[in-house]
Amino acid sequence: MKRWLLGEFKSPERLREAARALRSRGFTQLDALTPFPVEGIDEVLELKPSRLPLLGLVAGVSGAIGAYVVQWFTQAVDWPLNVGARPLHSGPAYIPITFETAVLASASALFFGVFFTCGLPRVTHPFFDVESFRSASIDGFWVAVAVEDDAGVDAADAALRELGAAQVARVEEGA
Amino acid sequence: MSEPAPKAPVLADPLVQHPLIEGRYTGAELGESLLRPVLRPPGWGWWALLGLCSALTVLFVVAIGITLFVGVGTWGIHIPVAWAFAITNFVWWIGIGHAGTLISAILLLFAEKFRSSVNRLAEAMTLFAVSCAALFPLLHLGRPWKFYYLIPYPSVLRVWPQFRSPLTWDVVAISTYLLVSILFWYMGLVPDLATARDTAKETWKRRAWGLLSLGWRGSAKHWLRWRTGYMLLAGLATPLVVSVHTIVSFDFAVAQLPGWHTTIFPPYFVAGAIFSGLAMVMSLLLPARRVLRLHHVVTEAHLDALARLLLVSGLFVAYGYVQEHFFGWYSGNPEEMHAMEILRTGPYAPAFWIVITCNVLVPQLFWNARLRASPVVLWVASLLVNVGMWLERFLIVVSPLSEDFLPSSWRHYVPTWVDVSLLVGSLGFFGLGFLLFLKLLPPVPISEVKQLQHELDASEAFAREVSMKAGAPGGGP
Repeated sequence: MKRWLLGEFKSPERLREAARALRSRGFTQLDALTPFPVEGIDEVLELKPSRLPLLGLVAGVSGAIGAYVVQWFTQAVDWPLNVGARPLHSGPAYIPITFETAVLASASALFFGVFFTCGLPRVTHPFFDVESFRSASIDGFWVAVAVEDDAGVDAADAALRELGAAQVARVEEGA
Repeated sequence: MSEPAPKAPVLADPLVQHPLIEGRYTGAELGESLLRPVLRPPGWGWWALLGLCSALTVLFVVAIGITLFVGVGTWGIHIPVAWAFAITNFVWWIGIGHAGTLISAILLLFAEKFRSSVNRLAEAMTLFAVSCAALFPLLHLGRPWKFYYLIPYPSVLRVWPQFRSPLTWDVVAISTYLLVSILFWYMGLVPDLATARDTAKETWKRRAWGLLSLGWRGSAKHWLRWRTGYMLLAGLATPLVVSVHTIVSFDFAVAQLPGWHTTIFPPYFVAGAIFSGLAMVMSLLLPARRVLRLHHVVTEAHLDALARLLLVSGLFVAYGYVQEHFFGWYSGNPEEMHAMEILRTGPYAPAFWIVITCNVLVPQLFWNARLRASPVVLWVASLLVNVGMWLERFLIVVSPLSEDFLPSSWRHYVPTWVDVSLLVGSLGFFGLGFLLFLKLLPPVPISEVKQLQHELDASEAFAREVSMKAGAPGGGP
């Protein structure tokens, strides 16, 4: 069973300060839930930069190679067709499709990569049981503290209230 | 102090007399004002337009049906004018799509803050425009139900598509463009769908938007990956825009026909695409801004920026016309010279001079700042540019074909009612998609506008702090 404490703050600055204070008090399992990306929260939460660019590159290069090989194989190897004495392996004519396929492969990989690494699609989540958590996509800046046991719950609750959270909610998975 | 020194402001409002957001709102107010068009039931104007567009869509379906059952003989095409309205519509529609990607992707890469309020609308326009565009080459195939011959599927006949033909390039380019536009648009939409889910009162709306928003919680990890992915998609979409219209221009430029066989075509087509697309963005944005009451986020600063872009891309297009005619003359080739001459003085001259008026003269209005700020002038000008750009595409397609190398085969082109129905019907189909979009999805990116407002607040506060420190005697660190 996973447990969290959610605290709502009213501005991105307050959220950032609260997250920093929570970390310095030894809470490390933190997440921020906000209506728009908050500058600097990644450093506070020590999130590593995403490796999506590498994924995009690999997918793009694979797409390009795949497209070129298909064109070369079909036109020059499997069914050579001499049109106006043009070379069978006509590299320049294969460039447009090679480029487009690279873009398509890379974009699809990035799109699905973003949602896969975010753990989405996921239609239910324990946080959504908290009615006031709806503000997380409107104007509330929430911090989530994952806790292990009852002592942790109480400590996190006290810390959040002390840091000036507008409201604090307890969430349990499967509750 | 453990607090790091304040960073330089992320941005200052680039046009102080024209703010990017009129007034200041709380996050909830901003969200509500941007979701109002979606949450409220539609008005009579929306239903009236929907009725009109549905009727035109029915006409479109009828015209497509006639084309499928009877054949392309129902069009006005013949030999030598074997390409006409269908290809004109295709080039025009796909060009319109390009401004959507330009506004959303290229301006995102350049960190142009004014894009945030208009990009969703422009991207939606792209999707419907590209969908319309994609239909025309298929219909033009003659036997559209055999379109899958263009895809390299492993058939027992071992018949492969001809990859040296621009037709297969088109297929790959358009389908890639459509798919990447959808992915980019949907990725940008997910956080706003979550806002819509959390704002809606009715359960069924919450469920529908909840499903579409894929369980977005706005976690810091989500935002980090989303921003990386969104930026990379923008980076991919930018060369894609240029490549797609370049490939469309190859359809013409690889032919040896005088008037088509020129190296100016790729940049000339791309410039024309962006020009016509911007005009269409304005034609849709200005009424939408008024009806949906978006004046606070689509301000005069946005209109000013769009009008400037229209002027700049119009100048590119004008340069293209000059180049085209100059090289027609400079080639010294009688056929080339003739291809350019019939535009100016031949049977197509009226259309040509309308093109020059709409595409070259009208945008020159926007050197004037007062005209740039006038929605009525902008709207009329954008409609004229749309007409001018359609006629330009028509002249590119039809004029060189009708009078080519051999005078004995010259023949001019007259459209049939099926041709006209396909054009008008596609406009209705486009309008139908756009009206449904306005009612079902948030038309302005809410999270981006909220972030923009927060950044503007922060930079204002920083500027105030700096000026206070500078003003105070002996102040400063």
